[in-house]
Amino acid sequence: MKRRQFLAGAASTVAASSVAGRAQAQAPVTIRWWYHFDNPQHSPAELVAKFERENPGIKVQAESVPWGGGNDYYTRLFAALVAGNAPDCAMVKLNNQARLLEMRALEPLDARLASWSGRGDIPDNIWTLTKATDGKQYFLPVQYVVLYLYYRTDLFQRANVAPPRTFEQFLAAAKATTSGDVWGFGMRGGAGGHDHWASFVLAGGASFDKGGMVSAQALAANRWFVDLARTHKVFPPSAANDGFRQIVDNFKAGRSAMTIHHIGSANEMVGALGDKVSAVPVPRAADGRGWTSFGDESNAVFAGSRNKDAAFRWIAFLSTGANNVEFNRFTGQLTVTKSGAAGWSLHPKRFVDATFDSVPIAAVLPDHSKTADFTRTVWPQNMQRALLGQIGADEMMQAIEKHFHG
Amino acid sequence: MTLNRLTPYAMLAPAVLVTAAIIFVPVGRTLVLSLHDAVLFRPHAVPFVGFRNYGRALADEVFWISAGHSLTWVVLAVSLQFLLGFVTALLLHRSFWWRGVARALVVIPWALPSVIIGLMWTWMYDFNLGVLNDALVRFGLIDKPIAWLANPDLALYAVILTLTWQGFPFFAVVILAGLQAIPAELYEAADIDGANAWQRLRYVTIPSLAGVMATALLLRTIWVANSLDVILVMTGGGPGLATHTLPLYAFLRAYSGMEFGYGAALAVLLTLALLAVVVAYVARAVREAGQ
Repeated sequence: MKRRQFLAGAASTVAASSVAGRAQAQAPVTIRWWYHFDNPQHSPAELVAKFERENPGIKVQAESVPWGGGNDYYTRLFAALVAGNAPDCAMVKLNNQARLLEMRALEPLDARLASWSGRGDIPDNIWTLTKATDGKQYFLPVQYVVLYLYYRTDLFQRANVAPPRTFEQFLAAAKATTSGDVWGFGMRGGAGGHDHWASFVLAGGASFDKGGMVSAQALAANRWFVDLARTHKVFPPSAANDGFRQIVDNFKAGRSAMTIHHIGSANEMVGALGDKVSAVPVPRAADGRGWTSFGDESNAVFAGSRNKDAAFRWIAFLSTGANNVEFNRFTGQLTVTKSGAAGWSLHPKRFVDATFDSVPIAAVLPDHSKTADFTRTVWPQNMQRALLGQIGADEMMQAIEKHFHG
Repeated sequence: MTLNRLTPYAMLAPAVLVTAAIIFVPVGRTLVLSLHDAVLFRPHAVPFVGFRNYGRALADEVFWISAGHSLTWVVLAVSLQFLLGFVTALLLHRSFWWRGVARALVVIPWALPSVIIGLMWTWMYDFNLGVLNDALVRFGLIDKPIAWLANPDLALYAVILTLTWQGFPFFAVVILAGLQAIPAELYEAADIDGANAWQRLRYVTIPSLAGVMATALLLRTIWVANSLDVILVMTGGGPGLATHTLPLYAFLRAYSGMEFGYGAALAVLLTLALLAVVVAYVARAVREAGQ
């Protein structure tokens, strides 16, 4: 395991530490925090140093854990929890909250949050989205993104079409921009591509409730989506295997006119394409319904930690105003704080606008212990087979229904 | 007397203890896991289920698809690696002025990490930006690019070609070492008897290398049958199930589904399938040790 430890020097003498402003003498404690940044060159060392200056009784041992598409990170985290060697706190995503709750690994934060001054600086809808199904708050949000539609302004101008707002407009634009070795939509059929599918099929009427994947409306929505590849051929032939790198590089190379991703890739896109790239919210169904993925990231304190108060102080520090802006400088995502968003300058405005405009339809996949396996295995396998014509669109939906509901 | 009798055991004990700790204990643990419904995120409920995981595997369509792919994977990858390695060794055994450089260069694929190789070949095969499609189109061999890794009829063979490139240096180096150990007198005797090049290869080189080649083939078969890193990086087992092999399937069930009990059962079944090869290798090693 690759680790970066930012413990420096000898431990300081006993210092006063307090929770929620309550002064209380404490022995110096060291808390372990697991994090993952897409760019391994980035380091939270300065944030750790600042925190330790402000909290002289607490040392933070920040450990970079490989993400590996989420799989590596969570396998290590679960194994550490089972082995009794888990960190005190860690970065976590909602798609694994149910599993962590099933392990009884999470510490509820409600009481601590009630007296935390930074709570009001995080918008209510983010609190709502990150609340667990039992009504408690285990996650303290630290960054977020919302997926939207990137489009090539030059290819759209050449085809004389406008950015799509509805599914029908999307299909028309994809057909109009598909020509020769350029495809209308850079579909991500590999792992992580469920967000592309969900934006059309969940908005089209499918749901994760029992029977929700095999209703007439859900099946029709999925047939329409699969037909984009099978009938209209607006996806590249490589779509079934394309991952993040392929969809971004194809878009930059002018091989696709649209794709779906979040603000995390905006600066790279603009660096390559300048004003030839812009973004709008993903299109909506004919009845106005929309769905796009809320890409969450939070910190959680583990129930097995012996230093829960100190761990909470650290994760609260990371979600506070300027600290949170600094944190997001490393990750390329968006601050969860209203004060930080007010002066946001890390991304071009049109992508920030596309993110904010997408918030009303942003949602998360179900807080279910089978969700992680769905995104990692069940969806890619069945989507790829459907795109390649090995199974029908309806069979794909039946497989998803079976995965969640037997 | 007693001390003398115990001394060999005492001297062997550290090695036995280390082997037990890093091999026998994990193997035993895997066997125990395979008999339980062990799901990593349900550590408080790990019921004993007997052989139910094995029954589930034998009734699992994906298990049999993966087993079929594993067979293709092992037979093709090992055969191609062996043939290419054998020819390379024969070439490198000949005398030419840059032989030293050639011998060093040929080891590069073997020395590269599998993940790097997987990523490198993924981009070479890339439908839109890959050098392979670009070259084939430019030379007029194909009309339009081929989605090598997204086509279920081609993906497995494309990955096998990558593994062939990665693994042939192993055979080349091992066989070259064997070639250098063949006494020159044998070739001189063959020349005196009027043997041509083919006859020297057929009656001197190949019989002299038989032991080396058999050991290398057995070892490589075990390694290739167990390997999943290149597949994981290049296709993740897709498109669909087109590149699923048994170790990859076991890995995905354990590390994606967190079903460590079922993943362990799949791993045990793979081990049983490999047992014939392992027994042949061990028997050969014992025989060689006895000589």
